[in-house]
Amino acid sequence: MKAYIAFARSGFLSSLAYRNEVWANIFGKLVQVFARVAIWLAAYAGMTAVDGISIQDMVTYALLGGVVMGATRHDRLVRQVGNALKTGDVAVWLLKPVHYPLYLLAVEAGMSVYTFLLAVVPTIIIVALVYGMLPPASPFHAAMFVAFCGLSFTIHFLVAALFGVLAFWLMTIFSLEWLLQSLIVLLSGLLVPFWFFPEPFGTIASHQPMAWLVYYPSAVWLGRLDALETSVYFAFGLGWASLLAFALALLWRRASSRITVQGG
Amino acid sequence: MRISVLPLLVKMFVKSQLEYRGAFWLDRLAQILSYGAVLTGIWIIIQKFELLGGWNWPDLALLFSFQLLAYSLGASMSFTQLAQLEEQVRLGTLDTLLTKPVNLWAYLIFSGLNIGYAGHIILAVPVLTWALVAAQIDWSLAKALFVVGSLLSATMVTGAIMTMIGATALIWVRSNHLFSIFFGFWELTRYPLNIFPAGIQAIMLSIVPLAFISPVPVAVLLDKPVPLIGDLGAPLALAAGPLLVCIAIAHWRFALGKYQGAGG
Repeated sequence: MKAYIAFARSGFLSSLAYRNEVWANIFGKLVQVFARVAIWLAAYAGMTAVDGISIQDMVTYALLGGVVMGATRHDRLVRQVGNALKTGDVAVWLLKPVHYPLYLLAVEAGMSVYTFLLAVVPTIIIVALVYGMLPPASPFHAAMFVAFCGLSFTIHFLVAALFGVLAFWLMTIFSLEWLLQSLIVLLSGLLVPFWFFPEPFGTIASHQPMAWLVYYPSAVWLGRLDALETSVYFAFGLGWASLLAFALALLWRRASSRITVQGG
Repeated sequence: MRISVLPLLVKMFVKSQLEYRGAFWLDRLAQILSYGAVLTGIWIIIQKFELLGGWNWPDLALLFSFQLLAYSLGASMSFTQLAQLEEQVRLGTLDTLLTKPVNLWAYLIFSGLNIGYAGHIILAVPVLTWALVAAQIDWSLAKALFVVGSLLSATMVTGAIMTMIGATALIWVRSNHLFSIFFGFWELTRYPLNIFPAGIQAIMLSIVPLAFISPVPVAVLLDKPVPLIGDLGAPLALAAGPLLVCIAIAHWRFALGKYQGAGG
């Protein structure tokens, strides 16, 4: 466990070394969050509520999307696993008394904490000051929002790592990265919340694992789910996370037993 | 420098790209799905709200496809090649290119002409064709010429800005973080300019003139008002590309003059 904490720390510190990139990142994020809010303001066009969702709800939803998705970068993770496979670096990890996927989780967590503190929090504060942001629906919803964020990070990591490991068979990182990107854009709720999806697509979308990335944390903050529903969907998300973790463990075991490092 | 060398460079690179044909087309498919997901997201918003800043579905599809096409044509002549420039400066491999009897820019661009943008074009052309028919455009010869001219100009805007960002690596060694600012603003060019706050509009029409890639020319085409610059929209949309190319050439020469290697 000590080793993994050290990995997380090194992930945090290595981000610190590239400060210019962090500033560019904050600026890029700021523009994107402003844009997402602007899109909803334009779509509502003066209406106060659509389908029981107020414009303040949507502005808050757009900001929360930035909170839960702003720190973790799935593309970085997919690329890291893919490159380790391509260059053969992965062989070094197989020799060490560390579990490679857990090592990745630790480093990613360290990097995410850094981005969250230095890029996400300032961005959200600036946009919230300009447009206003609703507080959580209740103390219960606030506490559950934090729990859902943890679940969102875990599922985000698991899905990205799964795509990365698939590179063992497909030998192309590029398409895996873009494929995952397309799934996240549409199925995480980042761009459009599922309550605006035409049925039955809304119902289908809200039960697949990516829904826990953005949709559920934000819906819980806004109080769209009551206490019972919140708990049920939290358990549902935990179920998805364990299934994904199992799939990752299985694929990882298969992949590491069939690995042949080229040119070695 | 003998121009006849350029087609040879392109031919060699295309051959190397198509060596893994399966992987090449899988990558293209993944990109089509990814951009398709964004377009679907916009469609879902329009299904619910009908208009976005006064623009309907064919208008927005026209904007999206015009942007994608201009971007892919411009970026194929600049982005991947110049994003690698930073690494070449850092490793010192650029110095060997400088001693060759070829124009550095021509060598970099044509030896890496990115045919990977084929996916963007495969998606953009049919959507653009459909949208040009479906949108309410008052067709005339002048309008038809404007479509071609502004598309060319938008391509030049993309290429020129990317070239300027890439060339900055010759002075600063690192410049790739500037690309993240570019892409932050670039995502906004899929939406009408009038939905954004005046500050963002002003930036996109001046310091980061990405508005000329799509929102300005498409608004002119659809006879919609262009924020801040009004009737100047049409002439500026046509002039922006050639003007920025001239600035980019001057900047490239200046940066190359300043180049001293990355230390060591």
